Amino acid sequence: MGFQTIGKNVVRPDAVDKVTGEARFLDDLRLPGMLHAAILRPAYAHAKIVSMDTKGAEACEGVVKVVTGEGCDIRYGDNIKDLTPMAVDKVHYIGEPLAAVVADTPQHALAALEKITVEYEPLPVYVDALDAMADDAMLIHEENGDFWHLPTLSPKPGTNIAHYYHLTKGKGEEGFEDCDVVVEGDFLYPFGSSAALEPHGAIVWFKTDGTIEAWSSSICPFIIREDLAHAYGLPISEVRVHIPEIGGCFGYKSDITVEQTVAYIASFVPGRPVKWVASRKEDFTSTLTGHGIQTRMKLGAKKDGTFVALKTAVYHSTGAYADTGVNITIGAAHNSTGPYVFPNCDLEGYCVYTNTTPIGAYRGYGHQEVQFATERLVDILARKLKMSPLELRAKNYLGDGTVNALGERMWKTNGDVRACAEEVIGVIYDGDKPAEDDDYLYGRGFAAVMKSPKGAPFSTKGCYMKMNHDGSVSVNMGGAEVGQGLRTVVKQVTAETLKIPPERVHVYREIDTQFSPYEWQTIGSMFTIQGGRAAVRAAERLIKTLKKTAAQVLRCDREMLDYDGEYVFLRSDPGVRVAVPDLARGYIYENGMTVGEVAQSTSDVRLPRYSNPDEKGQGNMGVTYTFGAQGCQLRIEKKSGKILIDNFASTFDVGRVINPRQIRGQVVGGVLMAVGATLYEELEYDEEGNMLNPHFFKYHLPTLKEAPTQTVSFIENPGEIGPFGARGIGEHPVIGVAPAILNAIYDATGIDFYRIPITPEKMKAALQGTTNEVQHG
Amino acid sequence: MAETVTFTINGMTRTVVVDPALKLLDVIREDLGLTGTKRGCDNSTCGTCTVVMNGKAVKSCMVKLDKLDGAEVLTIEALAKGTELHPIQQALIDAGAVQCGYCTPGFVMELYALYEKDLDASETEIKNALNKHLCRCTGYEAIWEGALLAQKRMKEQT
Repeated sequence: MGFQTIGKNVVRPDAVDKVTGEARFLDDLRLPGMLHAAILRPAYAHAKIVSMDTKGAEACEGVVKVVTGEGCDIRYGDNIKDLTPMAVDKVHYIGEPLAAVVADTPQHALAALEKITVEYEPLPVYVDALDAMADDAMLIHEENGDFWHLPTLSPKPGTNIAHYYHLTKGKGEEGFEDCDVVVEGDFLYPFGSSAALEPHGAIVWFKTDGTIEAWSSSICPFIIREDLAHAYGLPISEVRVHIPEIGGCFGYKSDITVEQTVAYIASFVPGRPVKWVASRKEDFTSTLTGHGIQTRMKLGAKKDGTFVALKTAVYHSTGAYADTGVNITIGAAHNSTGPYVFPNCDLEGYCVYTNTTPIGAYRGYGHQEVQFATERLVDILARKLKMSPLELRAKNYLGDGTVNALGERMWKTNGDVRACAEEVIGVIYDGDKPAEDDDYLYGRGFAAVMKSPKGAPFSTKGCYMKMNHDGSVSVNMGGAEVGQGLRTVVKQVTAETLKIPPERVHVYREIDTQFSPYEWQTIGSMFTIQGGRAAVRAAERLIKTLKKTAAQVLRCDREMLDYDGEYVFLRSDPGVRVAVPDLARGYIYENGMTVGEVAQSTSDVRLPRYSNPDEKGQGNMGVTYTFGAQGCQLRIEKKSGKILIDNFASTFDVGRVINPRQIRGQVVGGVLMAVGATLYEELEYDEEGNMLNPHFFKYHLPTLKEAPTQTVSFIENPGEIGPFGARGIGEHPVIGVAPAILNAIYDATGIDFYRIPITPEKMKAALQGTTNEVQHG
Repeated sequence: MAETVTFTINGMTRTVVVDPALKLLDVIREDLGLTGTKRGCDNSTCGTCTVVMNGKAVKSCMVKLDKLDGAEVLTIEALAKGTELHPIQQALIDAGAVQCGYCTPGFVMELYALYEKDLDASETEIKNALNKHLCRCTGYEAIWEGALLAQKRMKEQT
């Protein structure tokens, strides 16, 4: 197809700002009269607050106000209103806000914090979902079940289960009666942190006129606006939320979290903006973390390898509040089929309160955590069947005409996992594997992946577009740019649709709920699909307006006109035409008379036919599935246990590549993030719920020297929904990394790992047979 | 408690009254309002706060103020000349090394110190320099390519 702008490496609109330091992130904002907050975190992960003395802090230099949660009756959240801005009479995890000092400088606020004394009555601590589910476990929230929640959620009162999700397809568990072979496994994707380089933070200003103005490094300005309005009894229109540049997100700056705490603090000093930015330690302990998912999986098949039944139980240690974790539990459960057809499914998700930092999205909603189990277990099944794991997968792939666990029919337009698999296999299994030598063991591993969308009934994205009278175009949307490059996508699809050079399209920077069109939230790898389509739709409407005006000028029917980016012209006689810029403000005749209307448009786009889960847990996610395959070649150093990835290959069927350089950047970066989870990263808690490694020097993010060579390619089976057929890619690259690496480790060593990360110490212990965490084949 | 320090920042001599408990990063961001230098951690691990001090790339979150008197400091704000980007900045853009951009100023300053000292720096030396920085978005591939591209272009210019 002859595209002008799609498929080109258009430079991102924010690139210059970001290399010069001119890009303004939350901590760079300074407002006149701004005060600074510091927040006290508890000494226990689960305890009653017996008493608190704030007098010492109140007397400190620069202190304006000391705030506690005493008497606070705000409960907030967009799925389950179980969150409080500040602990009231109990603390539930080690990073919970317990009190705050508002002062003239951050240093004064921090110094005064140390003068607050608290007396606690410690309570039993549950770090793991299974412990919190024990019959005799103490309730982390007595009120479980009483909190307002979405009608689709099922909390279990009198337990620590915040939501139980259950999907059945076909005969459910009875499907195992038809199986010849069954394999089972218990897999753990432990706690981790998105750990964006920019710590989370917010500024909130309770203005004297009764309105609220807020700034946050969040991807959900409209959620924040609505939730703050609800908490403080204001019309939504009286809350204004700004989003500056965001220094990485990966999921944990979604929903509403720190903003309610900063708002609560700021509500005590009306008239003054209050800023709080997380220290790195607080970013780990008090903002959303990731994963915490144990998956028990049972997979049954016929002798010939045809999959028959899948049983999954997801035990999600969702942290002290479940509002942000509940969708991860659900997503994990129904994505646990991976990209395969299972006629019979019994998929359970237990979203369980624990005394750990709440879990949020982490490059997906349970996709990587649970398909880690699926893709390991498929390899294990292949061995039992004495089949090639690649052939076994090929027998069972979802594809055009098949039905997934949710009951949705798959179409060719959802992408072709088979084509992705063939591409990766061609890279990873090209030639023979090197034979073991004195220093290294060699292995190759593979994983195929499925990424469901994350929808909601009103998951819409809006677009405002206006043409200026020099023919340049301004586009305003509510999509949060976290680095993924969505503004470049908007620029490219707008330019392509309007048939103008991308340089003529100016894309919004800051989001401001006062001016930006409504956007549900920028999550779930859905912006390119939905936001891109909203831009196409607005551009098409703009062209319609241009034609409408031109029809008056050229005195003809609108349907007789064509548009080529420069002119609106008579199809039958292209010489009869009006230049596009002359139509932007309506058409102005020489005598000043004007006809037509200003060339501006609005649009919005939602997921087609999204529906809530029914009584069987099935429903329609909005039909924007994406499939892919990943694989690796690795070496294990015998002496040290070090795992060296020589090549990591990924292929995704993204429908259409909008910007080759950006899409490669998404995949390469995503893969490395998951390499981190697989080989290095784990947020560790002790039995008392203390987080042991909330620093970059203890929680190791991969560095440049640890980044493997990557082979990345794309299949382009255009989708029906996204702009020019494009589908999302942001969350996808992390899904198959852990299982591909662990499958390769088995290939190299004959050792099955069931949990990550595989540090050199763990690998060495397994090679020496001194650990019981693994199984030797 | 307050002390006075005099130093040069981006070619301008400044005298600032500071709290000696603070670090260079605080002075740059809070006292001088140069917010291009970022705070990403509090213990010299991530590299987002990297500036050039007396010709060397340093993590400003750990530089004590008693080291500052008489020093010459360069921050990201000093690199572009008007609207003309420094070749390192341009190369990072051209290589697609910018995503969220929070780590970018630190990488730019690290490379600036390295290439000012030795434009013939070996690949190992470049890798060693870049390895002091964390990036959560890019997977480093494009940063690495941008670093090599910048070196090539700077060599061609000299």
